[in-house]
Amino acid sequence: MLANVCTGAIKGIEGFAVSVEVDIAAGMPTLAVVGLPDAEVRESKERVVAAVRNSGFDFPNKRITVNLSPAELRKSGTQFDLPIALGILAASGQLAPAAADKIKNLLVLGELALDGSLRPCAGVLPMLISCKNLGKTAVIPPQNVLEGQVSGTAFITPHTLKELALYLEDKLDEASVKLAFVPEPEEAETHELDFSDVKGQALAKRALEIAAAGGHNVLMIGLPGTGKSMLAKRFAGILPPLTQEEALEITKIYSICNLIGKSKLLTRRPFRDPHHTISDVALIGGGSTPRPGEVSLAHNGVLFLDEFAEFSRSSLEVLREPLENGRVTISRAKETVTYPARFTLLAAMNPCPCGHLGDPVTPCTCSPMQVSRYKARLSGPLLDRIDLTVNLNPVKYADWSKKSEGETSAQIRKRVLAARDIQRSRFAHSATPANAFMTPREIKEFCPLPPEADNVLESAMRKLGLSARSLDKILKTARTIADLEGKENIEVKHLMEVMQYRPLDRKGVADI
Amino acid sequence: MNPSISAAERLARIQINACLFFRADWLERLIEIFGSAQEILRQDAQTLSHEANLNRDTAARLLKDAFAVRPQEEWDKTAALGGHIYVPEDEEYPQSLRNIKEAPIALYVLGTLPAEEQACVGMVGTRKITPYGRRAAAKLAGDLAQCGVTIVSGLARGVDSECHAAAVRLKKPTVGVIGTGVGRCYPPENRALEKAILQHGGAVVSELPFNSPPNAFHFPRRNRIIAALSQPVVVVEGEIKSGALITAKLALEMGKDVLAVPGPIDSPQSGGPNSLIQDGAGVVTAAADILDYIPQQLRFGLDPRFFEKNPHTPPKPEEDLTPRQREVMNAVGGGQASLDQIAEALGADVPEAASLLFELEVKGFLACENGLYSRSKF
Repeated sequence: MLANVCTGAIKGIEGFAVSVEVDIAAGMPTLAVVGLPDAEVRESKERVVAAVRNSGFDFPNKRITVNLSPAELRKSGTQFDLPIALGILAASGQLAPAAADKIKNLLVLGELALDGSLRPCAGVLPMLISCKNLGKTAVIPPQNVLEGQVSGTAFITPHTLKELALYLEDKLDEASVKLAFVPEPEEAETHELDFSDVKGQALAKRALEIAAAGGHNVLMIGLPGTGKSMLAKRFAGILPPLTQEEALEITKIYSICNLIGKSKLLTRRPFRDPHHTISDVALIGGGSTPRPGEVSLAHNGVLFLDEFAEFSRSSLEVLREPLENGRVTISRAKETVTYPARFTLLAAMNPCPCGHLGDPVTPCTCSPMQVSRYKARLSGPLLDRIDLTVNLNPVKYADWSKKSEGETSAQIRKRVLAARDIQRSRFAHSATPANAFMTPREIKEFCPLPPEADNVLESAMRKLGLSARSLDKILKTARTIADLEGKENIEVKHLMEVMQYRPLDRKGVADI
Repeated sequence: MNPSISAAERLARIQINACLFFRADWLERLIEIFGSAQEILRQDAQTLSHEANLNRDTAARLLKDAFAVRPQEEWDKTAALGGHIYVPEDEEYPQSLRNIKEAPIALYVLGTLPAEEQACVGMVGTRKITPYGRRAAAKLAGDLAQCGVTIVSGLARGVDSECHAAAVRLKKPTVGVIGTGVGRCYPPENRALEKAILQHGGAVVSELPFNSPPNAFHFPRRNRIIAALSQPVVVVEGEIKSGALITAKLALEMGKDVLAVPGPIDSPQSGGPNSLIQDGAGVVTAAADILDYIPQQLRFGLDPRFFEKNPHTPPKPEEDLTPRQREVMNAVGGGQASLDQIAEALGADVPEAASLLFELEVKGFLACENGLYSRSKF
């Protein structure tokens, strides 16, 4: 007999519907799965056999063929266990006839334990969203209830294969197979880490405020112990909240990576801080079956790279594509996928290999050659994508002890939010989320300069060695500074402030 | 060019000159023994070692190094850059260099060497320049160049570049003695500076074969040329063990005067000059202190105004600054200050401090390095 069950699979960050066709015929007892299954799908055979038996059903001693259609797309994941098991039950006539009609209207996802209970699986949210238009009721594991809720599709969450069978035979009502979704109480916006903890470093704090307001990338250069990591950890606390749409985007990515919390949608912007020994693939995404990397997990959030210059050269270079386009395209022999990766890069590094260049107390032991080689690790094209560079200098103890409490994160965040509001209305009709992501056309439209500005820019180029290609960066950043002040137009003082955040000077060259 | 040297002999000299492990005076002795460089190259290693009483391996290596160089190519490439290769017999070869014990066998020169009656001052120092060193070097070299003195230095990073640049800014000639072949530029960021030196009538000089890389041992060696071309030699900044002090030592051995720019006692980069002062070197507080050591016969044509001494006049107040800008200058003082420190001293917020600093930097009063501001002028 033949049975057909609908389920889903993932390509990139989008899901697609898969129909599981089960045919049972006379012959040698085998279970064959065809239709480009990956290793984890092939393994599902063993789980299905045990789960069916342990749920009180008979496993048919016949020749069983399972086809996953469309057959040309590669399928991975463990969500095929439940649809295959259900198909076998239906095809072997172990379900009441009423059940067959119901199955047609189901989208079945779930991994099976050997005892027949359901286990969570990855990628439920994108699959549900993509298959929403099919109008089917989803069957998902109880642990994935949050994703069911978020997706907005009708769903049930049976605990076991047996429960699902009973429901299909109308022996259980819908209420008893549907877990009530209880959202966790919304956490009050408290961040244990507050900007007021950081003494001094007004310039760095200001740079981070601008970065948070406009989505700009920041490079912090400073001696060890000047508070680079401390500031970075507090950066997430001044970021604006996620919009519904952004939250959904990143929840999808986290769903694919099976990183979703139990009963809460991601409401905070992600903050990812991979170690500098990270491989290129882990950073950017990939693998023979592509998976999102850290840059995608930081989508709509922050990617903090401490010891920036210690990252391998190739890791740094692969960052260029996502920094430029806000996404990464991964091409493998098997498939090509695109993951979103629009993040704010927060990088921190020492001024030189020994870390003491410019230290008033401990002299630097590096040769000028070593220093320039260290700085040269960051290529020009990469630095071009960093809008703000700040130097952090040590705070003297005398200053440190007398310094009054600085501004709190809440105060800074208020200004950030106001600046974001301005940007939201500015970009109401475009896909640009913030000033840092403006297209050249938008820069032209939204960053008109006062006539006196020519003077400032010209002298900056002549005296400070600013290149013409950094002009766009300057304009975008100046736009954000003006937004923070609530000013309609960029003013000269905004431009002058931007010059403080000019890139790493590779100078050491005397002016001619 | 001296016609008494045949073209073939000149090329042979260029070949012999490439034996870098040999001191120039030993090479000269070899030429004396064999009568000419061509004759040396005609020998095999055995006769060479026998006749000149050399170790057999050394002789073999000498010949190997010499034949590794294609002299005609060296000549053509140098000529293509508008340069010359001089030997001591040429009248263009600097007299001051000819006098020293280890005069280079061949000298690659791009641009124009200073005339014999031209006053030349050597200015040397560390590559790890401090803001103080930058100010001092720029001020002294600028004044000297303005006065009419040619600055001789090593075209390295730091003090050297700063001194050359000061002269070039005034469109005055300056001489860079480099530690690579003239076909290379090291450090690469000095390419523009090198070009500017040649453009303003200066010279780039090297005794090394055209394409020699910047090997470490080239640099102390070229220091003797700097010392030889100059009188006096000024050490601006440098650690106690540094190339600048090697130059000072070589200059003293040649009987030149060595002067030093005093610096803060807690700055490692001023350790060298301060110790030279302890050993009796002249103290430099203004260009006039240096000019005093220029030989009388070379003073013709120098601007007499710079000889007047008034070292104790306080630095000129920056006249056209606003009160707020002057506050910034006071906050920076003689040291280095970060924007945070300046903002706090002024009671200003970051945007205001940033604007003030930008204006002062563009006007050339302040320089910023690694986020620290310091005065860029005296």
